[in-house]
Amino acid sequence: MSDDATRTLGKGSTPPGPVPEGVIRLYSMRFCPYAHRTRLVLRAKGIRHEVININLRNKPEWYFTKHPFGQIPVLENSKCQLIYESVIACEYLDDAYPGRKLYPYDPYERARQKMLLELFYKVPHLTKECLVALRCGRDCADLKLALRQEFCNLEEILGYQNTVFFGGDCISMIDYLFWPWFERLEVYGIADCVNHTPTLRLWIAAMKQDPTVCSLLTDKNTFLGFLNLYFQNNPGAFDYGLSC
Amino acid sequence: MSGGTVRSLGKGSAPPGPVPEGLIRVYSMRFCPFAKRTLLVLRAKGIRHEVININLKNKPEWFFKKNPSGLVPVLETSLGQLICESAITCEYLDEAYPGKKLLPGDPYEKACQKMVFESFSKVPSLMVGFLGKQNKEDCSGLKEELHKEFSKLEEVLTDKKTTFFGGNSLSMIDYLIWPWFERLEALELNECVDHTPTLKLWMAAMKKDPTVSSLLTDVKTFQGFFNLYLQNSPEACDYGL
Repeated sequence: MSDDATRTLGKGSTPPGPVPEGVIRLYSMRFCPYAHRTRLVLRAKGIRHEVININLRNKPEWYFTKHPFGQIPVLENSKCQLIYESVIACEYLDDAYPGRKLYPYDPYERARQKMLLELFYKVPHLTKECLVALRCGRDCADLKLALRQEFCNLEEILGYQNTVFFGGDCISMIDYLFWPWFERLEVYGIADCVNHTPTLRLWIAAMKQDPTVCSLLTDKNTFLGFLNLYFQNNPGAFDYGLSC
Repeated sequence: MSGGTVRSLGKGSAPPGPVPEGLIRVYSMRFCPFAKRTLLVLRAKGIRHEVININLKNKPEWFFKKNPSGLVPVLETSLGQLICESAITCEYLDEAYPGKKLLPGDPYEKACQKMVFESFSKVPSLMVGFLGKQNKEDCSGLKEELHKEFSKLEEVLTDKKTTFFGGNSLSMIDYLIWPWFERLEALELNECVDHTPTLKLWMAAMKKDPTVSSLLTDVKTFQGFFNLYLQNSPEACDYGL
């Protein structure tokens, strides 16, 4: 079972104590793609961490002392330092912890990964809009077309580079930063958006073989259970699939 | 070369040759705040560079090979490597070149600078909204939004109790946000810092920095540019030369 399989904290919950030394804490939610990025990096680098899941529809009052708008993910270390914005959190972990570096050492290669991230910026919004449209019974042909266009741009990059992953022949930070939205294509009902991008499909297959990605894969039925409850505005959605 | 006196290249111009070894090239525009970030970092780190100004109202065809989006700034190395997006160019320069580091070495302090940068992110698009606003009444909503954003920045400074956003010396985050404060006077928005005294003090301290002051554009020149730019004049980018 994943190390973040804990019930969410909501309004009225007791604020957690300080973070013990030697551990870093992640405020998260099991189905959030942005938090997923940070969980991937924590796992990939083998960083000792604890996860506190937040009920995003019923946020604890104390949580606003961790993030001004109550967003996740947020990292908190034993020095009470708080880091937020998923990309900033991921870079912080890569900088602060030893072992395998997920960003390249070479400044130009680092810059390339950051430029690739810019190319990706429309994807989260578009995938979410498709999901909402489909769940509300609305047509999303235009949205899917726009998403396919974004995927074509990514396909072109992989084709031009002639590498398996976005950073080269090994998986690196940029792949982890993209992954959460690709993992969700099927459960969101938009897996056909990669029909015309074979190299991207190969990348998806390669990602699914990565031990870190694998270890954090959420089972399809659990995800669908969450989505069903979420769209019914059920505050229990975030804890779907957890045993009592 | 200061880059402040070079006429921009437009449609039909010959593409520039490769970048000589020992130099880095920046494709820029004298009045672009995003490109200003890169110029500030190049100057602050004493990096040997050449500037090619692009006529953004009449872009050369060859420029789209440097950046498909046709935007400045773009860095080009003597190896033909291209780096786009102002914040990425600045970080690249800090990492690739020796000398004074503008970003902190401490991972948390570096993350803090990036979090401040995020909280600044609404300012550029808000300020674009003021360009060409003739009617003062149109501005009040925008001014209020700008006040809100400036208050966030004021809070960062007062919480830190330091002169600059990264501590008691000037660092990357200060250079990244400066170009929009440099424009306040020319846009008649000085009043927007009236209720943020620490931010006002920061602006004064910035103007004293040798790098900032060496690249300062005066109010009249800005206004001349804005005027022509709003008329979509292909002469705008070269105003004052």
